[in-house]
Amino acid sequence: MSVPTEKIEEAAALLRGVYDGKPPISPLRDLLGTSDQTVAYAIQEANTKYWLAQGRGLIGRKIGATSKAVQTMLGLDQPDFGMLFADMTYADGETIPTDRLYQPKVEGEIAFYLGDDLDGEHMTVADVIHAVKFAVAAIEVVDSRIAGWNIKILDTIADNASSGLMVIGSQPRKLSEFDPVLCGMVMEKAGEPVATGAGIACYGNPLSATLWLARKMVQVGRPLKKGDLVLSGSLGPLVPVTPGDTIELRISGLGSVRTHFSVTGAGA
Amino acid sequence: MTSLAELAERVDAAARDAKAIAQLTTDIPDLSVDDAYAVQAMSIRRRIDRGERRIGVKMGLTSRAKMIQVGVDEVVWGRLTDAMLVEEGGMIDIARYVHPRVEPEVAFLMKAPLAGTVTAVEAMAAVEAVAPAIEIIDSRYENFKFALADVVADNSSSSGLVIGSWNAPSVDFGNLGVVLYVNGRPAQIGSTAAILGNPVRSLVAAARMVAQWGERLNPGDIVMAGGVTAAHALKPGEVVRADVERLGSVTLTVKR
Repeated sequence: MSVPTEKIEEAAALLRGVYDGKPPISPLRDLLGTSDQTVAYAIQEANTKYWLAQGRGLIGRKIGATSKAVQTMLGLDQPDFGMLFADMTYADGETIPTDRLYQPKVEGEIAFYLGDDLDGEHMTVADVIHAVKFAVAAIEVVDSRIAGWNIKILDTIADNASSGLMVIGSQPRKLSEFDPVLCGMVMEKAGEPVATGAGIACYGNPLSATLWLARKMVQVGRPLKKGDLVLSGSLGPLVPVTPGDTIELRISGLGSVRTHFSVTGAGA
Repeated sequence: MTSLAELAERVDAAARDAKAIAQLTTDIPDLSVDDAYAVQAMSIRRRIDRGERRIGVKMGLTSRAKMIQVGVDEVVWGRLTDAMLVEEGGMIDIARYVHPRVEPEVAFLMKAPLAGTVTAVEAMAAVEAVAPAIEIIDSRYENFKFALADVVADNSSSSGLVIGSWNAPSVDFGNLGVVLYVNGRPAQIGSTAAILGNPVRSLVAAARMVAQWGERLNPGDIVMAGGVTAAHALKPGEVVRADVERLGSVTLTVKR
């Protein structure tokens, strides 16, 4: 599938336009007339290059579509990935300014901080286990620059895997200190449980998802490095949020992480 | 006017003969929840009279999703008898049920009496142990469809339980990962937090609700705290296992 470079750049610019204040756009799959993942990642990469040139700091990756249900919905047969930049992150307890978001939803996830590069040719899950310096609970705020979340593979991948912001927990644990597969997850909105799940919901094992990512990153030439953060994928259902919501995530063995979505645009 | 005793006979026969019946509320649209609990008590009395023994209670509609599904804002309870106990690792015959489903749960074993309005601390002081469990639920109504009064009269759909190994209650069980495997593949995933935010709240509700009917939780009683995930409809030959983080696992096989 060949799509001219101008089309790729046009799609990338349309997505950036939304970040710059334009309303969410109609699906890109209609504009490009394809669902080719290579094209989708080319659009994502065009924006990654643009943002890096602007001085944004690449601090890690997110893995998306880690459940069969979501893969089926999007028309994927594997997970997808997006780029995490330093300015997308918040610490436990911080208020998120809602004017940075369009149609946000939250997910409970495990984030892995890498203490080693993951750029080998023949990596196994043992290399992932070796490289993980610590894990923390993290709230991923997913978002879409496509109006009404009307997304298929091409739209979500091009749109940086529908990434938004993230809130990083502050109780780091070694892999030997919790059960990444069977750990329970609960997300509360205003004190009411609104989503529950467990580690296994993420690709059968969040470490397997991370291995998938590590191999993929070597393939595409942006290998995971020491100091990268990996947002490994959702442990349960998505929960829509609106201004004024308070969200608390608890993962068994990993403590809790909390955030508030500001009522007025710019936050506290 | 159909008497409550007749309704009790109807739900009891449906459970005993594994034959689906029409909803009671089809005949009696204004059947109250209080009357439905009276029907339940009378139907269980019939079982006791046949030689079954009461071994505890089960809590139902303990998740927000199920309450919304049935359109209620209160949990329900039912009574457990020894005839409902399935050996851990044991086998059941689907023919003995109408349309059985399984849910992964946690179970409490009581060591002291508990009844009325109690705090979570008081409730836990009466707990001997906590175990992973599978509940077999089986509505005796056609198509598993019911109004609140129907399900209450039908012993809150309870029809069987399998209990795994008992753990000391010092385990923090408020948010443990739970996986229901069917033939080795994960079919349902959740957390014990799905039970009212914390299963201990279900125990507190059990103490309060049984007391409203002049009963109490007794030493040796089992309290099934409520489903953690959506229920799985059983098929012949399936092997079902529930894993609960830190508590262990419990298995059940369905006869081919």
